[in-house]
Amino acid sequence: MKTGQWTWLPIICAPVPAIAVPAYAATYLTVEQAQQSIFPGQKLSQSFVTLTSEQAREIERRSDAKVRHKEVQLWKASGGGYFIVDEVVGKHEFITYAVGLNADGTVKQIEIMTYRESYGYEVRNADWRAQFVGKNVSAPLKLSQDIKNISGATLSCRHITDGVKRILATYEIALK
Amino acid sequence: MKSRSSEIRRARPVLGTIVEIGAVGLNAGVAIDAAFCEIDAIHRLMSFHEEGSDVSRLNRSVPGEVVRVDPRTYEVLVYAQELSRLSAGAFDITVGGKLVEQGFLPQPHGAAPVDSEASFEDIKLLANDSVSLTRRLWIDLGGIAKGYAADRAALALKMCGVTSGIVNAGGDLYVFGAPQPIHLRYPNNPSLVLPLGMIANSAVASSSGCFANAGEPGAAAEPLIDPRRNASMKWQRGITVIAPRCVIADALTKVVRLAPRRAPKILSRFSARAVIVDRLGARPFNGQHNEMRRAQARSAVSHRSRAVVRAYRVVALGAK
Repeated sequence: MKTGQWTWLPIICAPVPAIAVPAYAATYLTVEQAQQSIFPGQKLSQSFVTLTSEQAREIERRSDAKVRHKEVQLWKASGGGYFIVDEVVGKHEFITYAVGLNADGTVKQIEIMTYRESYGYEVRNADWRAQFVGKNVSAPLKLSQDIKNISGATLSCRHITDGVKRILATYEIALK
Repeated sequence: MKSRSSEIRRARPVLGTIVEIGAVGLNAGVAIDAAFCEIDAIHRLMSFHEEGSDVSRLNRSVPGEVVRVDPRTYEVLVYAQELSRLSAGAFDITVGGKLVEQGFLPQPHGAAPVDSEASFEDIKLLANDSVSLTRRLWIDLGGIAKGYAADRAALALKMCGVTSGIVNAGGDLYVFGAPQPIHLRYPNNPSLVLPLGMIANSAVASSSGCFANAGEPGAAAEPLIDPRRNASMKWQRGITVIAPRCVIADALTKVVRLAPRRAPKILSRFSARAVIVDRLGARPFNGQHNEMRRAQARSAVSHRSRAVVRAYRVVALGAK
């Protein structure tokens, strides 16, 4: 196999100074793009589901994950599946993602729509998160255009896993 | 080269991390789906947690039993065994038992307790993708499978006609086609990154403890086990390896940390290079005379040697 090639920045001679990235963001899909990715060719119609306090408590009990929003962002696919947009907030990351469920309630596909990471106070700040609404791949954020490929310690997807558990409990209790 | 704006990027939660795939080309969307499909397959085959995976079947097997595995699992086992031999056991995929004991992995379902004497030498690779164990042991491919998944995903992209792309499996990445700028995350401060350079047709993998115990402040140990001491590592700096394949880069980050003296030879055998990232910045790892341990001890030594110099001066003055 051909040996790889890489260009070295001045690493060879002297330590390279670090660049501070207090916030890193990547946008992957809009709602429509995520729908087409998970349910290609199907028609999706939005339906409005608001959880009662009782349902929310039951979902929390079953999934061991906190219900932050009682409004479920739900679409029904013409093939019988469900499309749900959800968000999870970690200590340093805020992720919106879409889950496609098959008609029988099993997970079809999960797509991350936007991912952002912050090491300031911003993640839990609603105004900061609002600036990402409606952003998509054709209108990338300026924030981190040059820093897009980061090698480093592995990030956990635990928050998404917990979120999906909550969505599956939501399906059992409120959608089925 | 096509402009970056025609690139499609997608991210999904797989392999216990977030995997991002970017591709340029007309067929990029379909190719990315195929690549994620391949990663899902690797996950199903090599997961420690999934009962039906090849790894779980091996971990449940009785010594002497012949287990037929997927050719991809077999390929990873071949790489792992070769690295174990070259590193004289510093890299060892039979650390599963220790990782369970220390709480990094859950108890596998239906597997008998491990033999404490077991090591990589108890995994026998037979013909026709068959594997047999000579002792009870638990294999964990956590130190190598992510890199392999990145390689396979990149292959899937290429087979769909993608000419330029990147697969980043939570920090272990492979770039092909047009060169892309790669940054390294600072091990002790994840809000800082260092530029590594432009990378093409190569893999980059990093190892450090920075996210390992995100939930537990104060916990210093991380899920990298030194099989010779049977203890988990504590580490202040990161190691990044650049190699022609991501499976090699991923595994070599552990080899450099666990066997720094043998590492330079092993690195060159695989046409790989390593970079150390610590509070001073990034610098190439040459493994000369245990460079890593020396750096660690440097601050302690400098205190002592200053005292010695002072004592020597006192003696010299007295002699005058």
